[in-house]
Amino acid sequence: MTQIELRGVQKFFGAVQVIKDLNLRIEDNEFIVLLGQSGCGKTTTLRAIAGLETIDEGDILIDGQAVQHLKCSDRDIAMVFQSFSLYPHMTVYENIAFPLRATRMNRADTDSAVREVAKVLRITELLDRRPSALSGGDMQRVAIGRALVRRPKAMLMDEPIGALDAKLREEMRAEIKRLHIKQGSTTIYVTHDQIEAMSLADRIVIMHEGVLQQVGSPEEVYAHPANLFVAQFVGSPVMNIASATVAEEKGKAAVTVEGAPQGFAFPQQLLGSLNGSAGRKLSLGVRPEGLVVAHEAADGFLPAEAHIIEPLGSYDIVDLKFGEQMLRARTRSGFVAKPGDRVFARIDPAQAHFFDTESGQSLGVRL
Amino acid sequence: MATAVMTTLDPKSGAASRGMSDIAIRNLFIIPTILFLIVFNIFPLIYSLGYSFTDFRASSPAAANFVGLQNYRELLNDPFIWSNFAITAKYVIVSVVGQVVVGFGVALLLNRTIPFKGLITTLLLLPMMLSMAVVGLFWKLLYDPSFGIINHVLGLGTFEWLSNPDMALYAVAITDIWMWSPFVMLLSLAGLSAVPKHLYEAAAIDRAGTLYTFFRITLPLVAPILMIAIIFRTMEAFKTFDLAYILTSQPTTEVISIRLYKMAFQEWQTGRSCALAYIVLIMILAITNIYVKYLNKVKER
Repeated sequence: MTQIELRGVQKFFGAVQVIKDLNLRIEDNEFIVLLGQSGCGKTTTLRAIAGLETIDEGDILIDGQAVQHLKCSDRDIAMVFQSFSLYPHMTVYENIAFPLRATRMNRADTDSAVREVAKVLRITELLDRRPSALSGGDMQRVAIGRALVRRPKAMLMDEPIGALDAKLREEMRAEIKRLHIKQGSTTIYVTHDQIEAMSLADRIVIMHEGVLQQVGSPEEVYAHPANLFVAQFVGSPVMNIASATVAEEKGKAAVTVEGAPQGFAFPQQLLGSLNGSAGRKLSLGVRPEGLVVAHEAADGFLPAEAHIIEPLGSYDIVDLKFGEQMLRARTRSGFVAKPGDRVFARIDPAQAHFFDTESGQSLGVRL
Repeated sequence: MATAVMTTLDPKSGAASRGMSDIAIRNLFIIPTILFLIVFNIFPLIYSLGYSFTDFRASSPAAANFVGLQNYRELLNDPFIWSNFAITAKYVIVSVVGQVVVGFGVALLLNRTIPFKGLITTLLLLPMMLSMAVVGLFWKLLYDPSFGIINHVLGLGTFEWLSNPDMALYAVAITDIWMWSPFVMLLSLAGLSAVPKHLYEAAAIDRAGTLYTFFRITLPLVAPILMIAIIFRTMEAFKTFDLAYILTSQPTTEVISIRLYKMAFQEWQTGRSCALAYIVLIMILAITNIYVKYLNKVKER
C-alpha cells in the first residue's frame, strides 16, 4: 500500500530549472509512466523520488510522509537503472541477495527470497553466473529481481529497457507488464518511447521542459491530447497539425486548412463549441487514421493528390496534398497505387482536435 | 609471427624515403636494446649463477674452486642469515601494510570533488620523486634526537629513533611509508575513479550502509589495481638497501640486501654472496607468483 505524492516540486541545476512546479499523485499499485524527450526532467523527477537527487522546493510524500530530506536508504524504494548497474564482481545470486544482506537479513530467509524472485523472473539457472556472462535481457531481469526481492514500497524504473535491441525490448515490455500484474506494486517508469508508455501505463505523465503537460490513461492521452506538444509526441506516425479557419457553409461548419482550396465538412455543433474562441488562431490536429480516403468523389470528400507512399506492411502512410497543404493519411496497404494518383478524403470529425495556435492548448472540442 | 604483430611502415615517412624497410627499422631499435640487456643483465645473471657454486673471492688472485651446493647449504643453515630474513620480512610487512593503509586512505579522501584536487595530488606525489639517498639523509636529520623536528613536534624530548635497536627498523619503515604511500595512493585513485558512480547509487538504493558499501563494492572493485601496487611495493621493500643503509647501522635493521652487500663487498665472499643473491631472487619470484595468482583470480570476472 503505497501512495506517492509530489507537491510543488522545483529543481534547479545551476540557473537551469529542470522541474517546474510539479504536482502529481500516484495511487497504490498504479503503473505510472513518465514520458518525455530527453532533458525534459523526467529522469530527474524519478531520481528525486528515489533520493538520488535533492529538490529545491516542494514536498515529496510517500504514504503521506514528507521524505525529501531522507536518504534513499530510508525511503524504502527500489530502482532499476538504464545501465542495469549490476555489481560486476558478484554472481547473479549475490546481486539479488545484496539488498537483503545489506540489511542483515538472516541466511535462510535471504536464500528463499532470492530463489523465489529468480523463479518468478525465470533466471534460476543463471544464479551462479556473473553479470558479464549474461545477455542484455537477462541482465535486466537480474536488475529487476534485485529491486523486487526486498518487496519495496515502490519500484522506480529509469528507461529499464532502453539499452536493449528492438525485439528484446518488446519481449521485456511484456514481461514487465506481466510482473506488474502478478506482483502488483506502485511503479514509476521513465521512458522516452511513447509506445512503451502506451502499452505499460495505467496513467501516463507527459513532461516537456520540466513542465507537466498532461496526466491521463493511455487512451485519454491519445484521444484527447491536452496541447499541441502532447498531440505530436504521442502516437506514431505523428498527428497532422495545420492552421485552420472555421466558417459556416450551408448550415454546416467548414474547416479550411491553410493552403487548401476548400474546407472539410464538419457538423454544425463545431461552431457552437468554438464560439468562445472566436477570432483566435486555430490549429487543426488530426491523426493519419482520422483521414478517410476514397477513390470516388462523394459528399464531403475533398480531392487530393498522393505525394509519397510509405508502405509499412499492415498499412500504408500516404502524404496527401490538398492544394498547398500536406496531410498524412493511413490507408489499407496498396490502397493508393502510386504517387500522383488522385484520391478523395475527408476528416472524421470525432478524431479531429482543435488547438489554440498561440498557447498550444486544446480547445476541448469533442464531436 | 613477428611480422604479424608489427605495423607496417608509413610509406610517406622519412625512414621509408631513405629506403629502409620495416625489418631494418625493427633491427635498428630492438637489437641495441637486446644487446644492452644481454651484456648488463643476462650475462652477469648467468655468470653469477656459475660463481655461486664456487668459493671465488674477487679480492684474491686465487682461482675459483668448484664447491657444488656447499654455499647454498651453509647459507640456508646459517641462523644469522635467517635472522636477516626475519628482519626483512618484518620490514616488508610493516612498510607495505603502512603504505597501503596510508595510500589507500588518502586516495579515498581525494576521490571526490574538492577544490585544487589536481594540485593537492601533485604535491602529495613529491616524496616519490626524490632520490632514496636524499630521503635517507633528510630523515636522518628529522629523526635526530637532539635537534630533529620530529621529536620537537611530538614532544618526545631526546627519543632515539635510529640508535634504539627496537625502534630503528620502524623508523626506516616510517620513512619508506612516507616516501611510497603516494605510489599506492596514485594507483588506488585510478582504481577508485574507475568504479562507476551508478554502482554507488544502486548500493544506496539497496539500503547498503557506508561500511557495507566500502567492503562489498569499493574494495573488491579496486582490488585488482591495489594488488598491482602491493606487488610492486613488496618487491621493492624486499630488496630495500639504500634507505636502511643510510639511516642506520643497527644490527636490527640489517635487512637481507645489506647482509648481501656486506658479504660481497666488505667480506669479499663473492661466491657465497652470489648464492645468497640467488636465494633472494627465488624468494621474490615465489612471493610475486602468489600475488599474481591471486591477481588473475580477481581479474577473472
